[in-house]
Amino acid sequence: MIKARDISFSYGRGQDPVLKGISLDIPEGGYVALIGPNACGKTSFLRHLDGLLLPDSGEVLVDGLTTRDPGTLKKIRQLVGLVFQNPDTQIVGTTVEEDVSFGPGNLNLPSAEIQRRVETALETVGMERHGKRAPHTLSSGEKQLVAIAGVLAMNPRYIAFDEPTANLDPTARGRVLELLKELHREGITVIHVTHQMDEIVHADEVLVMSKGTIVGKGSPGEILPRIEWLKEVGLDAPRVTELLWRLRLMGADVTPKALTLDDACENLYAAIKHGAL
Amino acid sequence: MKICMQPSNMARCEIGRMSVTGQYIPGDSVIHRLDPRVKIISTILLSVVVLRGPAGVWIVLSLLLMGVIAIAGFSFRILTNSLKPVRFFLLLLFVLHLFFTQGKIIGPLSWWGVSVTEEGLVKGMTVVWQFCLLIWGAAVLTATTSPSQLVIAIDRFLKPLKKIGVPCQDIATMAFIALRFFPVFLEELENIREAQAARGAEFNTGGPLKRVKTASGLLIPLLFSFVRRAENLAAAMEARAYASGPRSYMKDLRMAGTDYAALAIAILLTGLLFLSGRLL
Repeated sequence: MIKARDISFSYGRGQDPVLKGISLDIPEGGYVALIGPNACGKTSFLRHLDGLLLPDSGEVLVDGLTTRDPGTLKKIRQLVGLVFQNPDTQIVGTTVEEDVSFGPGNLNLPSAEIQRRVETALETVGMERHGKRAPHTLSSGEKQLVAIAGVLAMNPRYIAFDEPTANLDPTARGRVLELLKELHREGITVIHVTHQMDEIVHADEVLVMSKGTIVGKGSPGEILPRIEWLKEVGLDAPRVTELLWRLRLMGADVTPKALTLDDACENLYAAIKHGAL
Repeated sequence: MKICMQPSNMARCEIGRMSVTGQYIPGDSVIHRLDPRVKIISTILLSVVVLRGPAGVWIVLSLLLMGVIAIAGFSFRILTNSLKPVRFFLLLLFVLHLFFTQGKIIGPLSWWGVSVTEEGLVKGMTVVWQFCLLIWGAAVLTATTSPSQLVIAIDRFLKPLKKIGVPCQDIATMAFIALRFFPVFLEELENIREAQAARGAEFNTGGPLKRVKTASGLLIPLLFSFVRRAENLAAAMEARAYASGPRSYMKDLRMAGTDYAALAIAILLTGLLFLSGRLL
């Protein structure tokens, strides 16, 4: 369990706080989506989870270990993996294999163990045939997969993804999202930061962040239909949800609860059948 | 539109090739598989013989290098390719020795009080040959050894200095990152150059002064982009538990039988070559 206790943070004295007293629990095995408009503090919050940033006040506990203790930081960073938005700036190695081995190397593991972990991690993300390639010859999507493999090789319990699909084309985006779901199925706790609303429908819990505070939380089914409120916060609902909402505004008898296209079709079909449309 | 795109694509290819010339050429030969420490020591021994050894050994060394290149499975073009970046320097070196060495003047080759001497001709040729041998040695080393292997070897060589507080692990990591980002640096430079060219900057026209001026316009954006990159990279490295202190590597260095044999051969040859100078 990751616990954030009333954390506040600003980048330097006299500057406006980026985080204003955030408290939340991230249970093990969950899939938590964190959404919010740009510059609302999502990235700063993520960087608190593995101690890259330390709160001005409050505390972050990862499985009972505080990020304030330099002695436990290495353990925390093994437990909590972080995948960044830009795949270009998080690849350290001169080959794919080498990059994936960077994390376990930092944990000072024996060579044989590192090799085993690199192989497994590359297999998990489906890049096992590209181990010898140089990072600058990879596509953005492949780079992001390598970055994820690099985190997996450290055997983390939690992985926080900071807008992992922001720089990717639709195919690569689909592949990365599929991988996120798969990792979650395998028992890794996923913390997924995004501002693409259609990416959060698989989450167990959605946290909505605005101006440095958590302004709402609930299941996707609870959060997404609150379209007017989401617009106030600066977010757009998925288009299918919005479509049903608009139909309802026009007097149609549909429930604006659809999260995916399939949901929406079913919903509309039922409405047409009952003569509500 | 497609036609406009072509020149920039070509420039990109060129830059891609630039980062490859004189760099690691993957392979699976005996030379490739040798322990990088053995290869570094052998290269240093070669340099010592080139600089301090008797004159005649250069022929032997040249043949030896060609043998190594053949075993590594490279084409002999590596010899000319590796000299390309320094060809003007070598030419200058030769010309200076040719004209400014005291000695017996070669009759017809004399202009405005400077003249070619026999000693100059010999000296110029030997100095250039020496330089070529040094460059070839280094080229064979970097072509057969992956950058990461070199870095691990450097890390191991520096290990004794750890006792007096030299952060050798950090130095090795720095070298590693420099190697990783060199191609990225070239790519970024090309992107900025294209972005500016698209807005009307002309890089290949005008006098030398104007060219320097337009090229300096690339510097600030490049610097900005790299400071930002460095920040992000540092965060990403820290997030993967990077810290000062012991690290391990996926491929640890371990000396095998062939490595000891190769090292013995290198040392023996060095001794023999020095000895031959004494005897002849």
